[in-house]
Amino acid sequence: MPHEARTEAAVADRVLKIATRRGGRRRNPGLRIAPEGSAARAQELALDSVQRWLQAVIVHPGDVEDAIGSTEAAQELAPERLGELVKPSHSLTSAERVDIYHGMYLLRMVEALESDYPASRHFLGEEAFEQFVVDYVQTFPSRSYTLNRLGDHVPQFFADNPERPHAAFLHDLTRAELAITEVFDAEETPVLTAEQVAKLPQRAWASARLRPIAAFRLLALRHPVTPFFEATKHDRPAPRPRRRASWLAVYRQKYSVLRLELSRTEHDLLAALVGGTPLGEAVAQAGLQVRASRREASVFRWFRTFIAEGMFAAIEA
Amino acid sequence: MAKPNRWSYPDLGLGVGLRTSHYGHILSQKPEIGFFEVLTENYLDTGGRPTFILDQIAERYRLVMHGVSMSVGSTDPLDFDYLAKVKALAKRIGALWVSDHVCWTGVLGRNTHDLLPLPYTEESLRHVVGRVRQIQEYLERPLVLENPSTYLEFTPNSMPEWVFVARLAEEADCGLLLDVNNVYVSAFNHGFDADAYVDAVPADRVCQYHLAGHTHKGTHILDTHSDHVVDPVWQLYGHTIRHVGLRATLLEWDANIPPFEVVHEEVLKARVWRDQEVSNAA
Repeated sequence: MPHEARTEAAVADRVLKIATRRGGRRRNPGLRIAPEGSAARAQELALDSVQRWLQAVIVHPGDVEDAIGSTEAAQELAPERLGELVKPSHSLTSAERVDIYHGMYLLRMVEALESDYPASRHFLGEEAFEQFVVDYVQTFPSRSYTLNRLGDHVPQFFADNPERPHAAFLHDLTRAELAITEVFDAEETPVLTAEQVAKLPQRAWASARLRPIAAFRLLALRHPVTPFFEATKHDRPAPRPRRRASWLAVYRQKYSVLRLELSRTEHDLLAALVGGTPLGEAVAQAGLQVRASRREASVFRWFRTFIAEGMFAAIEA
Repeated sequence: MAKPNRWSYPDLGLGVGLRTSHYGHILSQKPEIGFFEVLTENYLDTGGRPTFILDQIAERYRLVMHGVSMSVGSTDPLDFDYLAKVKALAKRIGALWVSDHVCWTGVLGRNTHDLLPLPYTEESLRHVVGRVRQIQEYLERPLVLENPSTYLEFTPNSMPEWVFVARLAEEADCGLLLDVNNVYVSAFNHGFDADAYVDAVPADRVCQYHLAGHTHKGTHILDTHSDHVVDPVWQLYGHTIRHVGLRATLLEWDANIPPFEVVHEEVLKARVWRDQEVSNAA
């Protein structure tokens, strides 16, 4: 039974204007950076230097005081010269004004990643997820015009950091979540119908190859992940991760993203078909893994399911 | 009566931002509305449901595009891959105009996904004018730029924001999207006169207005698009259309988004001010 993985309502309009809704976090109201008073413009920084400075401050993982004093920021502007670059307002110091942007940066990153990784967010909880985001964006900052690409390296991040709690499990869970976002955005391709399959001449079957739709991903995982999607959907406590192989197809049907749990044999058959193995060979390989008494019925039932679910775009004789 | 804008872009009446949570209502109820504003980046790299829905909406409604990633003020090179996608999307959906912001979003290849403020200096102006000209040449249409809401001011500023924006529009020969709420927000944050800002705007370059709700934090105002438009912003809107004229007016509501009818009703409040301007001009 396939599960709907993502609906239109689950996809936020991920642009800056949403992400700014909570405003700047005031993590350090007692800022100690002093010299706002030096109104004299000792030196005007070039535009590129101003931009490097402000960005270095905004993306710094510490509080704004640390950020202004960081090596990257201080290369452009000595911390004690802050007032020469940023004016205080009637109610905020220069540093407090910079802190509005600094605080909003992390909020935007958190909102973007929890939109793409809701099950991981649910499993980790607010605090641990935010800490993950702080670490992640230091390694993989956004380099795209769209926040939709920010999370592309999340599975890699957990693979590269095996010492993090539950890293192996989170690698699997985030692979599944990344597959969902990829499938959501993939190009729409025609879907192969059962009628089209039936028209294939009998003699062409063995050598025919199937081409999957663009919105299709196949995953072999070391942990079951479905219970974590269900816990997220129903807002129930996440179960403890268990190490057990599992297999999953993620695909789009009528613009909804679906997940289908597979047996190993089903996965292997699909993997062979998706990899371009001729039908006869793929079916024969899959059949070897099934008891002889059920072989033909099982393989053809799976095959009908794959076609009915719209996983393939074309069959090429 | 003030003049229309120099490109004769039509006054589309009153519109709202196209948001995911309203797709179902729009497609099923087909509400009468002047236009929708599409968030450019949400439709650039997707071949799934967003594109499917947008194509249906484009068949029925007038659309304009509004982006957040053009980064016209950045000292990084222009991203022509991005611009190519913007151009293609505008053509695909028949966007009447394409807008973005007077800001920068990142340097050194990074994107902070924020609309960061520029120093208002001659150096910045020369830089942005040059880039806007390049962008317009590539897009083969005027670019429409929105005044940002900002939370800090640079000490080396050599001109106020309204002078910077007006000179940018004239020297780059681009259009303006006058965000009335942003004027109000920045006026509070920086302590300038919002009416004076509006009075300095070159009316014939204004193609569209934005309205939105904001969050008053006591010490500063954040442009959160999370609530109804406050009375002082409506007053400023009235002042704006007296100075500039009637233009396509859009309500932005991006956080805690209520049902479509609530957002629509909010922008329809602008009718009172528009009608008043029409009767004054008669």
